[in-house]
Amino acid sequence: MSSHAAPAAGTQLKAVYKHLDSLLQGIHDLHEAGVRDFTVLSPIPRHEIEEMLYKGEPSPVRWFTLFGGLLGGTMIFSLASLTHANWPMIIPGGKPLVSIPPFLVVTFEGTILWASLMTLIGLLVMCGLPFTDPPAAMEDPRFTNDCFGIVFTRVPKNAEKIVHILEHSGAFEVTGGGAHG
Amino acid sequence: MSKELTYSQVNRDVMRPLFSPSMAWHALMALVTVGLAYGAFCWGIQLIWGLGVAGYHPPVFWGVYITTFVFWVGIGHAGTLISAILFLTRSRWRTGIYRAAEAMTIFAVMTAALFPAIHVGRAWQAYWLFPYPNQRQLWQNFKSPLMWDVFAVSTYFTVSTVFFFIGLVPDIAAVRDNTKGFVKKMYNVMALGWRGTDRQWRHYMAAYGFFAALATPLVLSVHSVVSWDFAMADTPGWHSTLFPPYFVAGAIFSGCSMVITLMLPLTKLFKLEAYIHTWHFEHLAKLCMFTGGILTYAYGTEYFIAWYSDNMYEWGTFTDRVFGKYWWVFAMMVACNCTIPLLWWFKKVRTSFVGLFAISIVVNIGMWFERYNIIASSLAHSFDPGAWVYYTPTYIEIGILIFSFAWFFLWFLLFVKIMPSVAIAEVKETLRPPLKHDEEAAAK
Repeated sequence: MSSHAAPAAGTQLKAVYKHLDSLLQGIHDLHEAGVRDFTVLSPIPRHEIEEMLYKGEPSPVRWFTLFGGLLGGTMIFSLASLTHANWPMIIPGGKPLVSIPPFLVVTFEGTILWASLMTLIGLLVMCGLPFTDPPAAMEDPRFTNDCFGIVFTRVPKNAEKIVHILEHSGAFEVTGGGAHG
Repeated sequence: MSKELTYSQVNRDVMRPLFSPSMAWHALMALVTVGLAYGAFCWGIQLIWGLGVAGYHPPVFWGVYITTFVFWVGIGHAGTLISAILFLTRSRWRTGIYRAAEAMTIFAVMTAALFPAIHVGRAWQAYWLFPYPNQRQLWQNFKSPLMWDVFAVSTYFTVSTVFFFIGLVPDIAAVRDNTKGFVKKMYNVMALGWRGTDRQWRHYMAAYGFFAALATPLVLSVHSVVSWDFAMADTPGWHSTLFPPYFVAGAIFSGCSMVITLMLPLTKLFKLEAYIHTWHFEHLAKLCMFTGGILTYAYGTEYFIAWYSDNMYEWGTFTDRVFGKYWWVFAMMVACNCTIPLLWWFKKVRTSFVGLFAISIVVNIGMWFERYNIIASSLAHSFDPGAWVYYTPTYIEIGILIFSFAWFFLWFLLFVKIMPSVAIAEVKETLRPPLKHDEEAAAK
């Protein structure tokens, strides 16, 4: 475990972990100390991390999906109905101009299409993607490979205590410096 | 997945084949280029001279092009089936193979999408298929199954592409972190600057689940809608409520076979045996056996209903398929789809490289002939005996069929050199995470 002098307040701080249980310990210890303004980086999604940080609160992406589905279904059904009303072909057999069964096919497709596109938009909005200018501390190739990380983009005043918590929890590297971009 | 694998080893193994094309890759690309050139020549002739150069003969105006369209849409079923339905059912065997299967889906639908444009002859007017405001105030008929098909295939393509791309994002970020300079910048753009933060993973996992749930009904609906292109018409041999499940089963059958055809050599060439085992291919073969069984049952049901309905047109078409001029197409279909795949019931065959590879190719040939059998034989032997003809494709149509395979393999070959063919993040998810507790226990 490397030990470093605490970085100055306002700069970035990065802790790198090799083990998932050490990372979870670090998150727990930071929460115990009342520290919450940090980002966890991981090469894979882990429910334990999400549970500790978000306490099972569902992602708002679902509202985008619901809105998109309702919007798409309504739009396509309206398009089909208004098209046929605008160009009324009199079909033998007394079939109605606005006929539910054939229009259900395109309505279904429109619902799925728009629900998917709105889910994509929801994902981009909620994740902040494209993430064009990430803090330097997050640009560590190990976080997409085999390491986990805790990053403070702006270290609070009690930096010394935070460094101590991170090192004590099992971070094998704690580095600071680099003003927030 | 092997327990000995580590996260960093997964990164190394999956990224190793990227960027350094082998001789085999160059040879395949050369073959693809020849196919593309010949196909482009044939299509060029058709664009200049019109559809008369195809073998159409009244009343047969749907032939090789629509057959090939349905074939490629069918191939495009397996990827989303494996990535979406098996994701929702938490089938662990999908992990190693789903990325390449998804890519196959996208490229198969891209190939299928060429055919409406080729088939209409005046390819530059193919956009008339889509509803758009125009000065003629002429709109499409939303009660037509051909219109439903446009919506079904374009929606399937869009949703599958989004699902595929979203699945790729964390892995592209992993590739980015292994590259330098301009290439790194390009991968960073494609990865949308992904960093794997807690916020990103949280919304990503929620969205991924929604994409899977939305793509699942599409897998079942798209080929049902394609089947209505035929079943909604009163042509003998087509007008059947059996068509949607029959087409969906056939699509999964051919799609999974194509996954086997593509993934077996890929696994060997890229040395991915640690991630894609015989076990994966055996599961795919079992899926083919199941859907092939449904297909055989559907073939039998068609004949039973044609006989039981006592409709002379229907029965006439079905007997003509067996004893008429198209007997060889019917024989190919039954041999390749019903008989030869029975060999997969032997474990030894469905776990051997040759057994899997050879039969998967046979199934793909059979499934192309199945569509040809449905389309050509029905139109050539319709209600009026005076209009019965024997349609055979011309060299132009065969050239464009070759073009479709070359086009498909062009994209697939480019994909395997640019993108990770195995889902890095998802493979890691199946491994035991690195734990200090484990290391301490091992040290004791």
